Amino acid sequence: MNIERLLSTNGLIKQAPTTDVILSRADKVSPNPIKLFYGETYDDKGHTIDSLKYYLFVSNLATSLQETGRLSEATILVADTATCRNVGPENQNYYMVLGEERANFVRKVNEVYRTGLHVVKMSEYINSPDFLNERDKTIEQCKANPELMEAVKRTVPESKVDVEHEKGFLYSFDEIATIINLDIKVGPPREDLYDNVARTIAQNVNKKQVMSLFLTPSFPIGMNWSYFFANEGIEDHGITAYKAGSKRLQKNRIIIERSNPDYIKELINNSFISPNRALPNPVLDIGIISEMAKNRLENNEAPVTLADDFYEGRISEKKLKEKVGTEVETYILSKF
Amino acid sequence: MKLISCQNSNMKEQNQQSTITEIVERDYKEKLDKRKKEISYYQEKTEELGLKSTKRFTEYHPDPSKSMLTGVTFAHRDLESVVESMANRQPWAVISGLNPSGPLHFGHKQIFEEVLWMQKQGAEVFIPVTNDESYLVGKVKSLSESRKTAYEKVIPSIIAMGFSPEKTHIFVNSDYPDLYNLAIDISKHLTLNKVYKVFGFGENEEGENPGTIFYRGGVQLAQILLPQYEEFGGKKPSIVPVGIDQYPYILLARDAALKKGFVPPAATFVKFEEGLDGKGKMSASRPNSAIFLTDDLENVKRKIKSAYTGGSPSATFQKEHGGVPEICPIYQLRAYHFTNNNELKEQCSTGNILCGECKKQAVEEVSEYITEHQTKLSIAKTKINDYLLKKPIKSILTE
Repeated sequence: MNIERLLSTNGLIKQAPTTDVILSRADKVSPNPIKLFYGETYDDKGHTIDSLKYYLFVSNLATSLQETGRLSEATILVADTATCRNVGPENQNYYMVLGEERANFVRKVNEVYRTGLHVVKMSEYINSPDFLNERDKTIEQCKANPELMEAVKRTVPESKVDVEHEKGFLYSFDEIATIINLDIKVGPPREDLYDNVARTIAQNVNKKQVMSLFLTPSFPIGMNWSYFFANEGIEDHGITAYKAGSKRLQKNRIIIERSNPDYIKELINNSFISPNRALPNPVLDIGIISEMAKNRLENNEAPVTLADDFYEGRISEKKLKEKVGTEVETYILSKF
Repeated sequence: MKLISCQNSNMKEQNQQSTITEIVERDYKEKLDKRKKEISYYQEKTEELGLKSTKRFTEYHPDPSKSMLTGVTFAHRDLESVVESMANRQPWAVISGLNPSGPLHFGHKQIFEEVLWMQKQGAEVFIPVTNDESYLVGKVKSLSESRKTAYEKVIPSIIAMGFSPEKTHIFVNSDYPDLYNLAIDISKHLTLNKVYKVFGFGENEEGENPGTIFYRGGVQLAQILLPQYEEFGGKKPSIVPVGIDQYPYILLARDAALKKGFVPPAATFVKFEEGLDGKGKMSASRPNSAIFLTDDLENVKRKIKSAYTGGSPSATFQKEHGGVPEICPIYQLRAYHFTNNNELKEQCSTGNILCGECKKQAVEEVSEYITEHQTKLSIAKTKINDYLLKKPIKSILTE
């Protein structure tokens, strides 16, 4: 798999470091592997196809680096402890179990698609002396620097600042301390807020800085144009990829192990699609994930060109919807 | 002596030439300044009133109206409240009234085509013909005069534009007195102070008559909120396409809607269509500024031929520098109603079409439209009853 082509996949990559920058980081950390990372929380509504997009991409990136002769280590973090910080004490055990289920899901993805992802749960390291030491240093640095502390506050939605303030912004510090020693962190665009703080801290102590790689946002399916028009800003942020219940839209998400393929086909048929590249295209997004899954299953290293095929008129809206409806069932839903 | 005389003649010619050049350049500069003012006027208004551009809507809607695509409908307030009903074919309404002080002209046509587009998107259309306002503000001499114009010239033209009788409700205010009960009902939720503040009454030295104040603070709002009364299916999203000068009504209507437990009406804002005389918006009060849908073809030709344009007095200069389409009433007439506006704009601003040719094409386009429209008028006149709103409004009179 050619790294250059992977990083220039239209409709998949929102923002990425250049190939040269990535390869040079890999060379710099050698003989250690370059650390690739994607972390997520979860809810109780199931595992989304949008999470699978990240798993497959991180795995593809690791493979493409290995093919250049560099060592890489691809990790998926299931942030169970972080998830539990946001649920009441009465639900903590339940959510820890859900965390194990999410980790098992990633392991199942490894089996189905041979993705070779290393699965880690936050609870496995959060109380380790090394991590606690890293987090304490992070907190210390931020508290000593008002600008950094402001940046930490910005990682929290405005409505939750007071609550997080009372909790000492531990959710944010856990996240920052987790990513500070990574090489490449893959995630949705809004995570730039954490990444920036981590980079500033690393810069202050002359350490290598984590690089951010953002994939395209995720969108609900089965929604018509009016939903997207009325939700200003959705083009940039989408909905939370890894939480099926994000904005209570679980009925408009593809939930692996749960969604009925016929129902999904109907949603796809009713989905908004625009020939304008700048607008959300939930069907294309699902199509790209399905093609990545197909390529993995067939051991095919061909680039995913679905976005170009659609926007350059080689595939019509009708054909795209048909193709995506079939492929999502064949290469994803039927495998779980 | 002869030599001196020859020199004088050359100087005179040179002076004449330089005067013409100065005039041409000054004219061009004035037109560019006018364009700048025109563009900034709508941008400033959008910002000042906290409105949103309609660009996002045209990107998302699968088949936006010509008015939105050409930027004639340039801004909106709370269009978000309507789109779900629009997309899912749930009930919503559009309200667009007009003053029957004269026949419909192309400025009206532009707005009613937008309303017609909304009807095709599923809206129930309400058209108040405000003959009471025409009388109160002195546009006509009597209520009966504006009433007559409403039935003879205005309503048939609206019908001839292709509105569906099942989804269109036209009423002449003075013939639909139930509206005044609604006006009483709504005016109870406003204060005179607020109405004064919004409309700036009192600035006129002669003052306003009480009827005008009641009209603005009651009747106008009743027209806007009418579709949300029980008789018309109750509370629902609605929209009012208006000129930017009508914004105060929208504010008051939104306020009154909240107090009545209705959905605050949304609004789209439409640019004024420039009058053919270049002296402001197309208006029935300046007959040569407007082409009426009832004009005969000779009049159409005369008005267009003598119209102000965004071109230059010098064809050579215009070929070199291009015209200024944004302020040209002929460009607006053609682009808003007939041709592909981007192509015409390009042709005009690059000097590839001159005003004479453009006017000739405009005469053809307008004449063709008017001829067709006028053939529909006689049938439309026989169908007025199918469109008139007659439903009595009892809900506010019973417990």
